[in-house]
Amino acid sequence: MIEVTIQLLGFIAAAALVVIGIAGMLFLDNLIKKIISFTLLSDGVNLLLVALGYVEGGVVPILIPGMSVSEFATRAALVFPVGIVLTNIVIGVSTTAILVALAIMLYRRYGTLKASKVLKGERR
Amino acid sequence: MSAYPSNLWSIPLLVVIPILVAVVVNLVYNRVRLIKVISILSAVCLALIALFSSYGYHWFTGLPALRPETLTFTFDPSFPAWRLALEFYFGPLQQVMIFVMSLILIFVVAVASGGLTKRQGPYMGMIFLLFASAVIIIMVNDLYHLWIAVEIGSLVVAGVVVGSGTSVSHKAALKYTFFSALSGAGLAIALALILGLTGYSNISDAIRYLQSVNLGDMSIILYVAFAFFVLSWIYAGGLAPIHPLKSEVYGASFPHGTAMLQTQSKLMLVAIGIVMLRIFGTLPFVREVMLAISVITMMLGVVMALIQTDFRWILAYLIISHSGLVTVGISLGTTEGLVGGIFQAVNDVIYMTVLLLCCEALYYFGGKTSTRNSLGLAKKAPWLGMAVILGTMAASGIPPFNGFQSELILIQAALKVGLPEVAAVILMVSVTTFIALFRAVYRLFLKPPETSETVTEVKVPRALYIGLWFFVAMTLIIGVYPTIVVSFITPVAQAVSIPWYL
Amino acid sequence: MIELSSSFIAMAYVMVVAITVGAVAALLQKDLLRAAFISGAESIALAFFFQALLAPDLGLTQAIVGTVLLPGIIILGIFKTRRTEED
Repeated sequence: MIEVTIQLLGFIAAAALVVIGIAGMLFLDNLIKKIISFTLLSDGVNLLLVALGYVEGGVVPILIPGMSVSEFATRAALVFPVGIVLTNIVIGVSTTAILVALAIMLYRRYGTLKASKVLKGERR
Repeated sequence: MSAYPSNLWSIPLLVVIPILVAVVVNLVYNRVRLIKVISILSAVCLALIALFSSYGYHWFTGLPALRPETLTFTFDPSFPAWRLALEFYFGPLQQVMIFVMSLILIFVVAVASGGLTKRQGPYMGMIFLLFASAVIIIMVNDLYHLWIAVEIGSLVVAGVVVGSGTSVSHKAALKYTFFSALSGAGLAIALALILGLTGYSNISDAIRYLQSVNLGDMSIILYVAFAFFVLSWIYAGGLAPIHPLKSEVYGASFPHGTAMLQTQSKLMLVAIGIVMLRIFGTLPFVREVMLAISVITMMLGVVMALIQTDFRWILAYLIISHSGLVTVGISLGTTEGLVGGIFQAVNDVIYMTVLLLCCEALYYFGGKTSTRNSLGLAKKAPWLGMAVILGTMAASGIPPFNGFQSELILIQAALKVGLPEVAAVILMVSVTTFIALFRAVYRLFLKPPETSETVTEVKVPRALYIGLWFFVAMTLIIGVYPTIVVSFITPVAQAVSIPWYL
Repeated sequence: MIELSSSFIAMAYVMVVAITVGAVAALLQKDLLRAAFISGAESIALAFFFQALLAPDLGLTQAIVGTVLLPGIIILGIFKTRRTEED
């Protein structure tokens, strides 16, 4: 029996979000739904990275007065994944903005949000 | 120590200048002359920096290693220590790739300001950001910046494609952005897995860790990471399963935009391919998978190019199939294969730029690129006709042009590792390229027009002709003296190569 | 310290369920506006989870971006196009 830790729960939720996100992006037919699925997918990746940096019984990586440096070094959660996740949140927002802008442009042209109609292969 | 100056000045400049230019041209928005001057000057600057810079590293963070005998700190990469750094490297391979790319940037920028697109400022900014992302991917030696640059690049590709402003291009951009969102998330997961397995984001550190421990059952995680890397690799180059998406991107943007896009994508293929070879190259079945994807891409691309009836789409599919030629060399993984693959990438971007600039010139002669109508352009514009024929010969690997040299190295490499099938496919690609291209060139340029139209005065921008002949001259020079490029590539190829079938 | 982590793990159980159910519920809505709001609620659960995973700064960022910015962009898109999903 594996002991259930917060980290394990984080991995489980991350896996669920990634699977739901990818499935939504591939199988849902509405462009806005596809975009929402993408935000879920990027949330899942963020959660995976944060859970990776978790240290069992650790502390938030802020050096509080009174804590020795060696204790901090052994107990603090990892900070590098946090940097990656901050970048990923920014990238996720900009990608979403571009996707929404393109979806609006294509809606004006075709009058529908159905991916099967909008994205049908057509040469000029 | 002097051979590896820490925090080299040229690396930040190569990244920051294009980003600054992108901001500035966005601000001046539509003043065409000013934009033209700024962008051409800065592109020339970038080429000069790449040409004259010394080799070295740039670190963002991390620890210098301590030499115990002298008690001095060093960043010398040959000194065995963990450096934990986010790291950029500028070496001979980076020099030749960035130099060629900035030459292409100069002429793409000059042609782009000829006025096919409105909203000059944002469009030019996108082209410069594309350059910046490709430069980062070429120089990077840590997974974090690799992932960021791939994400930036994917967004910017969408921007360049949208810049040509038709509904086909909006569609292509939307599809491509969806896929890039998927593959970007995949690359982030691969980064997370390697970070979790080794604890290092620096690629050299991660590789040293992987070599020093016995992973046992955990090596399955490496395979999962490899799968996600392959996803972003095929996304970067438009390899086999997604070749319709990428060819739509190439066909739907302006030809000069395509010239920049294909340059970025092929050099990305080389850079990511080398990273994959370094991390996963010693695992069984890895290079076989990469080789299979490459061969399928070559064949599919060239077959799709044969059945197209539009010069732009023929070029789009040929670019895909020639990306396969690049990746074949890299996935062979031997010294000759790597030299052939990287040399092919450099040659490929040059001769494809020649052909794409010819395609761009067709826009000024009425904009018909379909091979159904015969224009008889060889009579109206004899120099253009000559350039397109020379470009066709270079693309199909006819001596004395540069395509011949790299394909020769690739075929020899394939024969040397005992895969004559791959060599046969490479030969087939070069022959079929000639057929597909020459069919279009004959209909568009050489065949006399059926209806005698009144000859109208056509004003093709001078920059286009200058660029055309500059790159034709480059194909000839590299074709006659291949060593001027190969001598830059060989040391890198020897450093990262792995013998086939250990 | 002990009781703190045990309360965190109880919170984490709730959040796993909330995130998963929220994600699925957002994608099952016919009304796109409601889907956007539910994805915002899922982001709040994610922000609390980040807090439990010792990354409170990320929790703050995720709370702002995931509940205001992202649904805002999507709602803007919905207002410019159409609100319900067509069959």
